[in-house]
Amino acid sequence: MFQAADAMRSVAEMADTLVDDYDVVELLTGVADRCVNVLGVSAAGVMLTSPGGSLGLVASSSETMRLLELFELQAQEGPCLDAFRTGERVEHEDLQAESGRWPLFSAAALSEGFQSVSALPLRFRDVTLGALNLFSVTQAPMAEADVMVARAFADLATLSIVQHRASAEGQRVNEQLSAALTSRLIIEQAKGVLAERAAIDLAEAFSRLRAYARDGNLRLTDVAQATVAGTLDLDPLTWARVVRW
Amino acid sequence: MIVLTVRAEGRICACGCVAEMAGARLGRILAALSAGGDAWSSARLCAVCPGIVGVNGAGVMLMSGDIPRGSLSSTDDVSQLIEELQYTLDEGPCVDAYSKDIVVAEPDLADPVARRWPAFTPAVLQAGVRAVFGFPLRVGTVRLGALNLYRDRPGLLTDEQHADALVVADVAARWVLDAQAGAPSGAVAKELEAGADFHFAVHNAAGMVSVQEGISVAEALIRLRTFALGHGRLLADVADDVVARRLRLG
Repeated sequence: MFQAADAMRSVAEMADTLVDDYDVVELLTGVADRCVNVLGVSAAGVMLTSPGGSLGLVASSSETMRLLELFELQAQEGPCLDAFRTGERVEHEDLQAESGRWPLFSAAALSEGFQSVSALPLRFRDVTLGALNLFSVTQAPMAEADVMVARAFADLATLSIVQHRASAEGQRVNEQLSAALTSRLIIEQAKGVLAERAAIDLAEAFSRLRAYARDGNLRLTDVAQATVAGTLDLDPLTWARVVRW
Repeated sequence: MIVLTVRAEGRICACGCVAEMAGARLGRILAALSAGGDAWSSARLCAVCPGIVGVNGAGVMLMSGDIPRGSLSSTDDVSQLIEELQYTLDEGPCVDAYSKDIVVAEPDLADPVARRWPAFTPAVLQAGVRAVFGFPLRVGTVRLGALNLYRDRPGLLTDEQHADALVVADVAARWVLDAQAGAPSGAVAKELEAGADFHFAVHNAAGMVSVQEGISVAEALIRLRTFALGHGRLLADVADDVVARRLRLG
């Protein structure tokens, strides 16, 4: 049964989680559990797309639910898949064995005691990231207020996923920036080392390092690294004529 | 910051009011950024700050690990000095904003709320700076550096200015990541390098000092910094002298 205070508390708790670093699977499992506790549905589960585009099961409120959702994925039919494919809410639907929209899925769900289902897409702008599945052991549809809370849960789940993915991508890019800058600085250090050793200016030092790398089919970064670490014999760079074009 | 994200998901009632405000603010700041007509740049990001936030100057510092990497851009000589000093001294509003991941405000350096930055404070006061602010550059949990703002008169930012600065920092952080995401592997994005000062001369000098003194480059970097501190000079200036062979530390 819908209770405003419980719903608000759940939403607030989930929003709180988003402020800190968080684990997406754990958060989505929390969403599934809250759907059961707050919305009065019997079971809930979340499916998400992988980077490859295929749908996978991420969180379920119960083991029965988990197996049913896996079956849904295997049979390639069911409310979650429809919500994902269309990007639209799958409204309350009473299950009928071997007829209706999902004959295989319905039979399996009924045999586990479920009577009705609904599903919400996890949609961000034009992209559907997955779906939230809600199963009930009765045929009573959810109250409209409950549907709204479910919608809020689905939105928060979506935001958490989007933010997490952006953060992971951001982390990768930031590390790449840091590494690029570091190798750049090491080249500058190597220029200084060679300039001092060979009593030449920095531009000439850079030319020699680059020519040495090219002639030896080495990466400039590696040559610079070895120069700075003192593991490269600098004599050829210091004394010999360096072939350049 | 989930400003952009919340705005896109207008359906969330609990945040609707906040999203509305952030959306209007963001729209205003994006409009200011685009007003020049040119492509965005770090210089443009800093240049809009005086008008939007009501400060005299702004700069963006990139950080990594615990160290300042350098300056992406700054609006004027004073902002540049504020960044150079932080690079030299490893203390100041940007260093704190980044390392503590908080907004740092010093409304009056002449009568500070907290005794901190013992070397930084007198140096910037001498340059005519009275108030400094550091806003972390971050996207989610990814920390990139800090936005640096200063004023030649004491006083805190108003709530509006503070909120605007947060959005500018947020936009700047996203811009840095977006720019770098398009860079070839192993390279710093051209957009980021344009106008940036990553203190290459300091690293040139460290290489030279390491040979002169027979020490590692890492030790030479420390030696350079110690020399600069001991002589009350900017690390960049000391490095320039070493590179020009006007100065030997030994």
